[in-house]
Amino acid sequence: MSTGTAHASKALQDELNPFLSMAKGFDTAADLLGLDGGIRDVLRMPDREMTVNVPVQMDDGRVKVFTGYRVQHNTLRGPAKGGIRFDREVNIDEVRALAAWMTWKCSVVNVPFGGGKGGVICDPREMSRSELERLTRAYTVAIMDILGPDRDVPAPDMNTNEQTMAWIMDTYSMHARRTTTAVVTGKPLNIGGSKGRREATGRGVMICSNEALKMAGLRPEDTRVVVQGAGNVGGLGALLMYREGYRIVSISDMYGFVYNPKGLDVPAVMAHLGSKKRLEGYAEADYQAAQPGPSPQLELDCELLVPAATENQITSLNAERIKARVIIEGANGPTTGVASDILDGRGIICVPDILANAGGVTVSYFEWVQDRMGYFWTEEIVNSRLEQIMVQSFSAVRATAERYGVSLRTGAYILSIDRVASVYRMRGISS
Amino acid sequence: MHSTSREATGSLPSVPTLDDASPFKTMMASFDEAAQKLGLGQQEYLLLRKPDREISVSVPVRLDDGSFRVLDGYRIQHNMGLGPFIGPLRLAADLRLDELRALAAWMTWKCAVLGVPFGGAAGGITVDRAAVSRGELERIVRRWTASLVGDIGGERDVLTPEMASDEDVMAWALDTVSAHERSTANPAVTGKPEALGGSAGHHDAVAQGLRVILRLAAARSGLDPARLDVVIQGAGVVGGNLARILHAEGHRVLGLSDLQSSLYSPNGLDVPALLAHRAQHGHLPAAVPGAKSLDPARFLEQPCQVLAPCAVANAIHQENAERIQATLVLEGAHGPTTPAADEVLERRGIPVVPDILANGGNVVVSYFEWVQNRTGFKWLGDVVDARLRRMLREAWDAVGAVQQEHDCSLRTAAHLLAVKRVAEADRARGLYA
Repeated sequence: MSTGTAHASKALQDELNPFLSMAKGFDTAADLLGLDGGIRDVLRMPDREMTVNVPVQMDDGRVKVFTGYRVQHNTLRGPAKGGIRFDREVNIDEVRALAAWMTWKCSVVNVPFGGGKGGVICDPREMSRSELERLTRAYTVAIMDILGPDRDVPAPDMNTNEQTMAWIMDTYSMHARRTTTAVVTGKPLNIGGSKGRREATGRGVMICSNEALKMAGLRPEDTRVVVQGAGNVGGLGALLMYREGYRIVSISDMYGFVYNPKGLDVPAVMAHLGSKKRLEGYAEADYQAAQPGPSPQLELDCELLVPAATENQITSLNAERIKARVIIEGANGPTTGVASDILDGRGIICVPDILANAGGVTVSYFEWVQDRMGYFWTEEIVNSRLEQIMVQSFSAVRATAERYGVSLRTGAYILSIDRVASVYRMRGISS
Repeated sequence: MHSTSREATGSLPSVPTLDDASPFKTMMASFDEAAQKLGLGQQEYLLLRKPDREISVSVPVRLDDGSFRVLDGYRIQHNMGLGPFIGPLRLAADLRLDELRALAAWMTWKCAVLGVPFGGAAGGITVDRAAVSRGELERIVRRWTASLVGDIGGERDVLTPEMASDEDVMAWALDTVSAHERSTANPAVTGKPEALGGSAGHHDAVAQGLRVILRLAAARSGLDPARLDVVIQGAGVVGGNLARILHAEGHRVLGLSDLQSSLYSPNGLDVPALLAHRAQHGHLPAAVPGAKSLDPARFLEQPCQVLAPCAVANAIHQENAERIQATLVLEGAHGPTTPAADEVLERRGIPVVPDILANGGNVVVSYFEWVQNRTGFKWLGDVVDARLRRMLREAWDAVGAVQQEHDCSLRTAAHLLAVKRVAEADRARGLYA
């Protein structure tokens, strides 16, 4: 990570723990809601955690045992929903925190899911495709009893993709002896995937930007945008915003960023990135290579900043120097808790991750709905329903924030926690 | 219903096998060509060519006179890459396993071309519907269904009607599955009576689909899609409804035939009067003023813009293909053109819109019925129509794109698209275990 964590003090290390940031968001909101201890514990602790150790035959004939987790944080509002990641760094604390994050995210956009997350400790870069397939299938079988369209619906996450989801769907279907497309989302189109999913998060970012501009009294054509990240969120988001009339002045990838204060021809930039695999060398803009420490890209002159790459990009080290009036968190946890307070103090509007990047889970929800009925929507319908949900959610978050006199981030947590808590009160304790 | 069923069943074994072309061979010829063009490996080819599963059951039935007979029952499940299986239940005394295999594979390709999320299946019972009582038939169908519980159902294998197996048969099958599963299993069966969850638009779905495809195909052949001269072989559910729909839209139906009569008039026939006669008497009139009554063998060779064979397999064969005088052939029946005739028509520049694309209307509406049953929400007739149009238009466009890319016939393009889509789904899902 470019923030130099190795030399960081304990205070900075805590600041850079995104789960502490989330816990802080939760506690602030729970205090404002006046949640008593019992409910607070129910909402804080995962409903269920499953650890599995699955043997996989490797290509060289040896058997290797992999440890995997599936955590269902909360299923009051519906089946658990959340990604499965394959990574060396996977650990139960992280999976647990990410599962909770999904509960709040699903609740903010009011899709009928609870939160879940899964992971397998492995190094996918050192595994063959067949080994990955066998691992995916073995892990699926191991957690099969807690999976299902009405129980827990995984999705792609770090180092997993639509191929992984296809294997999960196939394994589950073969075991259940029935075609069960709705058991995972993020599948390929031809076996129950949804149109519009690939760009869903970027589209959600764009819709949030439109709404946030109204708060700031800006128009897209007067808005200079800096986008950190050029993938499914940043890249596609920038493209959609460009079409909407925004002036995109800077985009970055992991190697550096391009900058043109007059505005970038985003389709041309993306075409360059597509063919050259990096932004460097794009002729119509200045280029600056990435360096350790806070990225100067984030401090460029602009009205709108979209951190859509990774966590901990806006910290106590650079929050004072951010020039944007509006920040849309395309990534998960790009702003630390401390930085968030600084931005609030400076009157910068920050649309928090659990709202800003919820376009992805919303279209995942659409995929699940389409799979359950077996009928598939046109791309126009997917996009218009996404817009409807994002706009509604944004205005609900804004109204909550205004009612409590807090930031959009705290407003989002209040809204989502209150929704889960009220379901808890209605459903009660089952036995 | 029963008399037309008998007629249809009766026509099955007597299908002329000119060119030694069974529907199975016709289908496999198209599939093999597509597989070769796509460069499928030997094992991938086998995976797609062999049925996933072949289930054979014994169907003992108590007859009304107290004795019992043992019949053979089958269900062939061809490929589940794209979703649950779907396919007909065929009732025929001379049922052949090879025929069911072909039918199941055919259903796979058809679903894939049309973009409906199913794999293909076909089942059957060796019984002549006309030779058993209604009570006996019901017991036969229920016994066959009960033997397959666990292998069929809304998310496993969906039954559809075909010829002799009508709405009643579908209702018995549904009732049997529901009783065994202790739940209402409406999606397990399509083509049900509307009272049991059947879809609007099912009765003339094939004809409605043909009409949609005809408009698109005619426009591409340089014909005026609003005013066409059409000859239709067959006046039953497919041909009769097509004639009715086209006539009502202002097209001219120059020729219409059934087993009894082959009528042709260069000025167009009075379709409503002919169909009214058929509804009353069970067949078309032998002659009508102003129209010629033709030798059935010459019927398909009359001048027209669109020839729609909607009755039997192998209607256009190598002997009459040279004499076809149409600008466009629209296949309403299954396999009405033999491979040899296909070559002749291609050489003569007469495009053939192949069955798996043209007559898919009932598969699409079966799919809609299944969707409606899964959601428990019934669509209005015009919603069914609009969505049928959209799906067929998308299928037509997709086949057209493949045709351009590979510079081949529509039939080859449709099979290419189908095999490609199924192979891709199989590849994405991978090999289980």
